[in-house]
Amino acid sequence: MYNIAERQMERSVILKLELGYIDIKDIKFADKSEIKDGILYVNTEELKKLVLEDEDIKSVAFDIAKPGESVRITPVKDVIEPRVKISGRGGVFPGVIGPVDTVGDGVTYALRGMAVVTAGKIVGFQEGLIDMSGPGAAYTPFSKLNNLVLVCDPIDGIKQHEYEHAVRFAGLKAAVYLGELARNLKADETKVFETCGIVEGLTKYPGLPRVAYVQMLQSQGLMHDTYVYGVDAKKIVPTILHPTESMDGAILSGNCVSACDKNPTYVHENNSVVADLFAEHGKTLNFVCQIITNENVYLADKRRSSDWTAKLCKMLNLDGVILSQEGFGNPDTDLIMNCKKIEAEGVKVVMITDEYAGQDGKSQSLADADAVADACVTAGNANQVIVLPKMDKVIGVVEQVPKLAGSNEHSLRPDGTIEAEIQIITGATNETGFGTLSAR
Amino acid sequence: MIITNNPLVKANLPEETKIVYMKCSYKDILIKVRDLCYAGFLLKTHPLSGSVKPNETPYKSIMVSDASTGKTDFDSCELISNAISTYEKFAKLPDKWPKEVLLDFQVVDLSLMQNALKSIDL
Repeated sequence: MYNIAERQMERSVILKLELGYIDIKDIKFADKSEIKDGILYVNTEELKKLVLEDEDIKSVAFDIAKPGESVRITPVKDVIEPRVKISGRGGVFPGVIGPVDTVGDGVTYALRGMAVVTAGKIVGFQEGLIDMSGPGAAYTPFSKLNNLVLVCDPIDGIKQHEYEHAVRFAGLKAAVYLGELARNLKADETKVFETCGIVEGLTKYPGLPRVAYVQMLQSQGLMHDTYVYGVDAKKIVPTILHPTESMDGAILSGNCVSACDKNPTYVHENNSVVADLFAEHGKTLNFVCQIITNENVYLADKRRSSDWTAKLCKMLNLDGVILSQEGFGNPDTDLIMNCKKIEAEGVKVVMITDEYAGQDGKSQSLADADAVADACVTAGNANQVIVLPKMDKVIGVVEQVPKLAGSNEHSLRPDGTIEAEIQIITGATNETGFGTLSAR
Repeated sequence: MIITNNPLVKANLPEETKIVYMKCSYKDILIKVRDLCYAGFLLKTHPLSGSVKPNETPYKSIMVSDASTGKTDFDSCELISNAISTYEKFAKLPDKWPKEVLLDFQVVDLSLMQNALKSIDL
């Protein structure tokens, strides 16, 4: 006879992802693409052929930037960690590069210690830079990686939308190409991430607070977009993910306007909120799931999405939520709406954001506020001023520096040094708390 | 109704869209919308749409209700007031942009409005 109770318990554990790390200690150009003894060898001709399959890209140049070098990369569009799906459903970057399928279980390999960095002048005003050494390097997590940089030039007369699309796909395709090189290797380290189903989760940790991660995704328009399984996040309603899904590239960045207010794809793949919640799962809390929501411009969309997010928190019987935002200004309102409505359901909220508190740090940090938003972790003040020394080598276009967000026409000094706000640096004040910058 | 100083918004949105185009500054658009909110119009899009900072782009488009409700909406007034405060805190920069970059700013601002319109046209 069909036993419902037994059946429910049998299917209660849903997803288990084994994430194997292949450590990349160095990158070299070579005749054959392979990974050997921790060194990534890249045949640029093969990679070039792959990138130039896109007829919107006229030419692509490759370069390597290593930690500690006197190198500046600018203007940075996205940072991507190459991964490959070894077993389990789907492939990395599902619905975009990989087939449309649900990911997050099985075995995935990640090339740890390196990234693909895309650079290109999509619009005249530009976003960030990555310094591989000096004071600026301390502000970006990407200075610690061996970076393979793709500088993509478009065909003449291309529209901004088309160029953004082409550069985004060039980075993803390059990352998949490099990830495939690890398919038959043995991982240097493997971490196992397991998420419970509803039934098991409720019974397994009865004394621990049920906590979810609510991640707000940038979703406003050109160069302000995020993709979930290939779907433009503007068009989603809030939904539930197993946190392992983002580790297989279910969430991708199309957000390349300003360097601080964004989560590069690398941050989605290695989301530090997810990592920290997994580390505490079963010890101090019960990590229930990840909830994703958007940040549209239209106010009715904001109301709908925050209503649904709060509803999901209630349905999941949560005790607490970690809530991160992405962006400046407009998303501050979504942040506060989400916080107020989730708190109104009796669920405690801790927010993560960065601040635009003025160069002296004395101004109101966010464009919105509320009394219930009383628990907030800051990722630093993006208006803080920094002086960056001249670098021996620039990958990309140094003339772009006065046009980067957080700079002005005096930023690039005659001696090659740069005086600007730290929002000029890619990843300096990440709003998921990726990195080490904060304030008390 | 869209209040804008972006010529591309004026030129590219569907004919049936009611557009009030003003040749003015970013801040003037915020002030105009604030006054409309005081007069009972409802804010329909966020006044700080986009991650391009108010001291970078000279262009701003904001959607409000087509008509006044006859009653001041507190939420609309609060949002637009906060936006003006945020605008004020950014260090003022001299105009530094060549023509082609101004066009890029217009394109991004237009995209934000087009996406807001898509949310309405269901």
